[in-house]
Amino acid sequence: MTTAAISVDKLNVSFGDSHVVKDLSFEVRPGESYGLVGESGSGKSTVLRVLSGLNHEWSGQVAIEGKSQPKHRGKAFHRAVQMVFQDPYGSLHPKKTVDDALAEPLAIHGIGDAQARIGRALSDVGLPASFRFRFPHQLSGGQRQRVAIARALVLEPPILLLDEPTSALDVSIQAEVLNLLSAIRKERNLTYILVSHDLAVVGHMCERLMVMQFGRCVEEMDVEALAARKPQTAYAQQLLTASEGFRRAG
Amino acid sequence: MTEIRAPMAGEPPLLEVDNLKVDFHTATGIVHAVRGLSFSLGRERLGIVGESGSGKSMTGRAILDLIPHPGVVTADRMAFRGRDLVQMERKERRKLRGRHISMVMQDPKFSLNPVETVGNQIAEAYRIHRKAGGREARERSLAMLEAVQIREPARVYDLYPHEVSGGMGQRVMIAMMLIAEPEILIADEPTSALDVTVQLQILKILDELVSERGMGLIFISHDLHLVQSFCDRVIVMYGGKVMETLPAAELADLSARDRRHPYTRGLLGCLPDLDHPQAKLATLTRDPAWLA
Amino acid sequence: MSDTSLKSGGWHDWLITNEPGSRRQARLGQLYRQWLALRRNPAAMAGLFIVLGLLLVAAFAPLVAPYDPLVQSLGERLRPPSSANWFGTDALGRDIFSRVVYGTRVTLVIVLLVVITVGPIGLLIGCAAGYLGGWVDTVLMRITDVFLAFPRLVLALAFVAALGPGLENAVIAIAFTAWPPYARVARAETLVIRKADYISAVRLQGASQWRIVWRHVVPMCMPSLIVRTTFDMAGIILTAAGLGFLGLGAQPPIPEWGAMISAGREQIFDQWWVATFPGLAICVVALGFNLLGDGLRDVMDAR
Repeated sequence: MTTAAISVDKLNVSFGDSHVVKDLSFEVRPGESYGLVGESGSGKSTVLRVLSGLNHEWSGQVAIEGKSQPKHRGKAFHRAVQMVFQDPYGSLHPKKTVDDALAEPLAIHGIGDAQARIGRALSDVGLPASFRFRFPHQLSGGQRQRVAIARALVLEPPILLLDEPTSALDVSIQAEVLNLLSAIRKERNLTYILVSHDLAVVGHMCERLMVMQFGRCVEEMDVEALAARKPQTAYAQQLLTASEGFRRAG
Repeated sequence: MTEIRAPMAGEPPLLEVDNLKVDFHTATGIVHAVRGLSFSLGRERLGIVGESGSGKSMTGRAILDLIPHPGVVTADRMAFRGRDLVQMERKERRKLRGRHISMVMQDPKFSLNPVETVGNQIAEAYRIHRKAGGREARERSLAMLEAVQIREPARVYDLYPHEVSGGMGQRVMIAMMLIAEPEILIADEPTSALDVTVQLQILKILDELVSERGMGLIFISHDLHLVQSFCDRVIVMYGGKVMETLPAAELADLSARDRRHPYTRGLLGCLPDLDHPQAKLATLTRDPAWLA
Repeated sequence: MSDTSLKSGGWHDWLITNEPGSRRQARLGQLYRQWLALRRNPAAMAGLFIVLGLLLVAAFAPLVAPYDPLVQSLGERLRPPSSANWFGTDALGRDIFSRVVYGTRVTLVIVLLVVITVGPIGLLIGCAAGYLGGWVDTVLMRITDVFLAFPRLVLALAFVAALGPGLENAVIAIAFTAWPPYARVARAETLVIRKADYISAVRLQGASQWRIVWRHVVPMCMPSLIVRTTFDMAGIILTAAGLGFLGLGAQPPIPEWGAMISAGREQIFDQWWVATFPGLAICVVALGFNLLGDGLRDVMDAR
């Protein structure tokens, strides 16, 4: 049995009085793409923030590649796990060029050869070299998201956390970004955790998924069960039906 | 699927728009947001779909005179039940707006006054358009809150906008827009900020308003699935132009897909689909000829 | 307004390009774009001309001024404005125009010294308090509140009274009283910025807190602080003039505008020009900085 890329055991998160994640446990195998699905307030994004180390207020066990993680992560952790955020307009520093954004992680970790690495990162996400010194305001939403993906990949982490990476994009741009993410995963054998409210996106990108509600796991299932419309629980069924559009009572 | 209800014979359509244009005069030149849009609206659910920058929101705003400063709206004709809005005095047009034509925006948080209770805001809307007394306005507002399926209207009446959830805020907005009993409601992404289950409840309310009260609804959205399942007719916009207008049922009809405009086909093709998994999603190739 | 598109010069194209070839070109292009935006604002350009004029006059004061500002000539005292003495002469027979011209140097020194001390202090305290939060925030902000609780001139007066009158002490006193609003502004901005995803992204890259504050938070606070500074220039000049007027700032015979007004107040009804011209100078310069600040705010806030 191989060690899980990510394993979460009895995770609890509270903000003040509200208990937003309750006794959550799951494992993600290396190279797997795992979806977290739920409506707002389900705690799915909070789980991602705990995994990434952005949130320090939690209890339970979080292990990355077999190593149990403290609340405050060290530098080695950041080379193993990176994240792509939902809003491409908020995730890039408005006063830094693409080049600055990609150079920063390399500088923090003292990695040389920055010039070549930045060039490669840009071509990996399908951006022309001429975009290198643009500011975010000179990029479209889809291009920004590509820069954000390049920034996450420049440290070559084996694990990528994706927080609704395409929900702010038009559907045609969404398709391009999802294709890019799939291609990169295949090429580098990455492990993904994808948070989304869109079951079709999760169905397309993931092998397994967890449906969450009110901070709890409602159901864990394979994507085949999703495609066959055969969830075990009523809530998952309801979510699946709702995602198929409007139905007139009749 | 309900059939498309065309306007009754002899009755003019609720809204006719002919060659609508919205231009923005900026420092770097003129931006054409909407380039010659024509359609007519009966007592039906008309969907306008498109990606960002397609001009779909601008269309809704232009009908209500809500285009901000550097924008200029022109149209050969824009008629509400046969009365041409273009020829009309600005003051008269303003009277029509709110009373007969109303709009619901995407985010209720930005459309509600934060320092006034939601109930008072609804009552205020009623009093402006109906010149009614305070008591009557309150009663009508409570009834309206009930109509949009708010469980404890009397309690919600006294809440401030920050105290209500997103779904409830959107219902309050709808109640406010509908209390004057408009004949046309323009809903600009009314459910995009909401969870799917809440989304469907809101749509149900809108749906009943159309079928029971005979209101005309313009439903502006980026969500093809939603539009094809909810609307009667759909206008597909791209770059400020209409690509095609079609019955919503044909949008969903897979066998009819080849007859669709390439842009529509492209949009449908790049959506991930649980029933037809693909290793790679199709991407959209934009043809400059579409905008010619 | 000249149409910029008519200028097909190589520089313009090089700066305005959407595909800059280097970091430097990107930055210069950004500045150039802001300059183009600023140029479209007539009020801001008027402000800029006044400020530039002030700089030029200060730099070339010996060439501009017809007389030595310090040489007294008791035979020529209190002469009204004439072709020989454009602004007239003061009670000691000194040429007021020359004194106003040399006064620009004093004013500029005060303004620059205050700004280079106040800006960084306010920025660092504000950003650190805002980003680190917790007890650091509490301590720093309570100190700031203490300073903010006093009217600026009164506090400056107290400092000068303790330190003794003089130009340097006036600068120190003004600096002491001017930083709290900067810290407040920087903190307020930081509180918004720290929640942004781009800050989370750098945290995820493993950056240290100081690196985040210094390299990512501070650049975002800069525009509002620069704008605030230009607005504040007028206030600083007025406070300096106020101290000068009360005899606690620059000491005679230094040609400081506030002190000149103070000296002219006894003759204000009979020899109006003695106090009027330095007053006008203060008014024009303060207005210039304000107009420029207003224009800069419009340009820098737009992204």
